[in-house]
Amino acid sequence: MRPQELEDFMNTHPYLRAYLAGIFVPTLVLPLLLAMFIVVRIVMQVPVPIEQALIFPMAVVPSLFGLWNMLWLGTHARTHLSIGMHGPLLPILIMPMGATTASCLGVLQLGTHGATWFQACQIPYALIAPCFLAALVGYYLVWKYIVGFLNRVLGIA
Amino acid sequence: MNAHDDERMKEVLRRALPPVEGDELGRDLWPAMLRRMDAESGAAQSPGWAWFDAALLAGMVAFGVFVPAAIPVLLFYL
Repeated sequence: MRPQELEDFMNTHPYLRAYLAGIFVPTLVLPLLLAMFIVVRIVMQVPVPIEQALIFPMAVVPSLFGLWNMLWLGTHARTHLSIGMHGPLLPILIMPMGATTASCLGVLQLGTHGATWFQACQIPYALIAPCFLAALVGYYLVWKYIVGFLNRVLGIA
Repeated sequence: MNAHDDERMKEVLRRALPPVEGDELGRDLWPAMLRRMDAESGAAQSPGWAWFDAALLAGMVAFGVFVPAAIPVLLFYL
């Protein structure tokens, strides 16, 4: 491709490039997550409901990441919000959705003292807030360094 | 408009726009531009913020060590 053609290509479809940059991280993590669940379920014989557990990370999270990056591209000229600040707003949307989906699919059970995930991981209610903060930190770092880098590489930041 | 008018117009314009004194810059502006670009990129990647991000990462890792049950839950949302 000639430089002029490459430049023309890079100047078109910015929202498609934003979507692709957004879905990069969950698409990369998903096979690792799948491998981890398979090891836990088949090798370690822990009865994890793998089919139900993978629905949300496989079907919803990548699309939400892509759409969230498209939203950043469409709004940051007005909001002047950096990508590192825009990303951590996503858990506010994604966590209630994930918890509701997980609860409906039987992946999450709410008990008297805490929540049980994947019929194996018990998290006391006192640790829900630190978990949420850890998610915010993780999202901040992922969006600032990985999605931000990809946005710059793809010419949309 | 004849040749006399052209000459008169040129004269009026010359009087209205006095010549710029010192038509060449006394110094090269490019080094200053480079310094400014370096300063801006340095401000964007401030070491203080890098340490802050490193501290956040360390805190998140420590949380995962102390509460390992949270790791698959956090991965569920990624």
